[in-house]
Amino acid sequence: MSAADSGSGGLEGRHMAVITVENLRYRYPHTEKLALDGLTFSVEKGEFIGIIGANGAGKSTLSQALVGLVPQFYKGAYGGRVTAGGFNAETVPVSQMCRTVGLVFQNPFNQLSGARDNVYEEVAFGMQNLGVEREEMKRRIQWALELLDIWQYRDRNPFDLSGGQMQRVAIASILVMRPEVIVLDEPTSQLDPAGSEEVFRAVEKLAKSGITILMIEQKMEKIASYCDRILLLHEGKQIAFDTPQKVFSLDDLEEYGIQPPAFTRICRAAGLSFKDGTYPVTAESAAEFFHGKDFEKSRIGETDVSISEPFFSIQNLDFHYSPEAPVLQNLNLELDGRPTAIIGQNGAGKTTLVKLLKGLLKPVSGNIYFKGRNIGEQTVAMLAGQIGYVFQNPDDQIFKYNVLDEVMFGPLNIGMSREEAEEKALEALALTGLTGKEKENPYDLELYERKMAAIASVLAMDTDVLILDEPTIAQDYRGRQIIGNVIRELSGKGKLVLAVLHDMDFVAEFFERVIVMAHGQILADGNGREVFSRTDLLKEACLSQPYVTQLCRKLGFEGIYLTVEEFLGKK
Amino acid sequence: MKNISLFTDNGTCLTKVHPFTKIAHIAAAVSIPLIVGRLWLFGCFIGVSLCLLAWGKVLKRTFPLIAFSFTILITIFLIHGLFNQNNANVLFRLGPLKFYREGLLYALRIGLNILNMLLSFAVLVLTTRPSELVDELEKRGFSPRFGYIISSVFQIIPQMMGTMNTIMDAQRSRGLETEGSLRTRAKAFLPLISPVVMSSLINTRERAIALEVRGFGAGIKKTWLKDRPRHKGDREATILCLLLILAAVVWRVGTWL
Repeated sequence: MSAADSGSGGLEGRHMAVITVENLRYRYPHTEKLALDGLTFSVEKGEFIGIIGANGAGKSTLSQALVGLVPQFYKGAYGGRVTAGGFNAETVPVSQMCRTVGLVFQNPFNQLSGARDNVYEEVAFGMQNLGVEREEMKRRIQWALELLDIWQYRDRNPFDLSGGQMQRVAIASILVMRPEVIVLDEPTSQLDPAGSEEVFRAVEKLAKSGITILMIEQKMEKIASYCDRILLLHEGKQIAFDTPQKVFSLDDLEEYGIQPPAFTRICRAAGLSFKDGTYPVTAESAAEFFHGKDFEKSRIGETDVSISEPFFSIQNLDFHYSPEAPVLQNLNLELDGRPTAIIGQNGAGKTTLVKLLKGLLKPVSGNIYFKGRNIGEQTVAMLAGQIGYVFQNPDDQIFKYNVLDEVMFGPLNIGMSREEAEEKALEALALTGLTGKEKENPYDLELYERKMAAIASVLAMDTDVLILDEPTIAQDYRGRQIIGNVIRELSGKGKLVLAVLHDMDFVAEFFERVIVMAHGQILADGNGREVFSRTDLLKEACLSQPYVTQLCRKLGFEGIYLTVEEFLGKK
Repeated sequence: MKNISLFTDNGTCLTKVHPFTKIAHIAAAVSIPLIVGRLWLFGCFIGVSLCLLAWGKVLKRTFPLIAFSFTILITIFLIHGLFNQNNANVLFRLGPLKFYREGLLYALRIGLNILNMLLSFAVLVLTTRPSELVDELEKRGFSPRFGYIISSVFQIIPQMMGTMNTIMDAQRSRGLETEGSLRTRAKAFLPLISPVVMSSLINTRERAIALEVRGFGAGIKKTWLKDRPRHKGDREATILCLLLILAAVVWRVGTWL
């Protein structure tokens, strides 16, 4: 550390700041808006900092500025000063900064070097580059793999692992380089609940090991329970940097695209605040408030279910990719017009089932009838006009140079006239909040916008059935509301919305029917209340309850509330 | 995951032989017959390669390679046997077709050459883990960047092939016909290929960042998890190969003088 660099750390006074950011301003090349605008904060050694904000707030950009990727990799206009461990992130090369600040990002798949064929060597990759001595490498690998509970996978090909396991390999790969600070950029956004839990458990262990952590995360309940302080960003500006209680008790949070934890919303609505005017942010502290207060501990009356004509009727369905490993076995199911969510662990057969419904896969035996007609007799293209399917990754389908053309591609394929296609496309774009982006190149949009464009491109085909695969991934609060509205709107028009997803709170809020799958079979099928009250079954399927339901359990309610509104409505 | 590397670890001695020894073998097998210029030498080296492949228990896996090369070889024999410009003496007739001695000899030389190269490379490719070869090359000062490119190809191409299927499903779901007449398929080309290219570009950028934050290009001398001990006989075999090449050169130069 040079004398000049240590000076800035000294300015902070009492504690040792491991990261200091002073008036950081940054603009990406070829853009006019500042991505980061005047950030000033410092992080002390051993602190756990949460970084929150709507999509486009500058969270990822900040994470990259801490390692020096901004501005060194991305170029652009840069002002202010970022130091980590005494090194200036603007000038010290990233390959050196990475010894002080480790960065883990969203997509576990792209973080693997792709040059190593087992986990053990993959984790060693970074240390090899830094010239760490052999025995030391072996010690650190074993330590990191055991800490993150992946030692048993050391001989496996990293690409064969599940998302949660892969992400832990990515964290281990960074951890072994012994950085002082780890920055996690939404490490669980692409994982199922079980995988997320694995990663969160790993993060907790890291926090206890004393390493400084900065985590970007959309799951506010998690942020609330882990963090010492929270940095709230909005459109590149720093709105707040304070304790979770203070930040989540701000009045104008929704303006910044943030929905406070369910527990905070409940307490706020119930007027239960601490003396300083802040609200509880965790289930534990919220439960303390509610204890002793009298609540109607009864089951909520079942809502009437209107069962329409079945869209799909599945009979004795068997499917496998290879005979030794059956994926679906003797499945029988009817799907009517209720918005239906299929939940379950990765590998439970959910995606296989919806691909069969769409005709992308053919049953090994058994039949699927769509509105009385056997799907097996129709080609995918024939079904395209009736069953829409939005794939998880928008980049698997985008190929046009502007959003409007992209969205019109499907409608034109199924034989709509240009005028009709354009009209449907504009409607779909309006519904997904993309009005005004018609002429933009889809590749210039952010991931969350590209996902919306992909949804719009299928919506515009005006199909009777809409199948969504993990629609909420990469979406913030606002994006989730938009998707929720799409579901309600279509359902109102008598269409079937069928979704495969991992986001339990979203399921509880927007779906009338929930199907739980595990090992290629249906474990449970019913409305959210029935399904989410069966804890034994959720455990078997490796699923968790919605947060409000968890609070109910802590309070010992017999009935089950699924959403904040329900909880308050019944209070 | 699908593996595009031809290597399978069957635990035979040949897999434990150092990759450089196998490279020395390739060098000898390819260069000596060319330097000396005698046909029977091709035969010898093809024989040696076949023996090695049999020893490594991968002989069966070379048959598809040989079968594939035969389609090319037959074409060469037909063209040169019938139309080589030096053709003078008819060797045999097949109906109206006259096959000439000169052309067939020429074709035989090319054919043996191809077969010889193919088999000697097969000894390396079928019995060596690609990452091991790259590691050894890097230890000898080969650029880590090129090393990375080679070893990542083996992981990333299978991933791209997987993506291709998803893209096909995604576009078919939007009503794109991918089967049928040539025209239909030609029309489907762009919607299928652009997402592959674009998403691999996006992935590449992310991966570049991932490598950067793991100190790739730090310019520090790399360290290694394992040493690759030489197998018994590695040194001797390499020296033998090099001596044979030297002998061939000396012989050639000697005949010129």
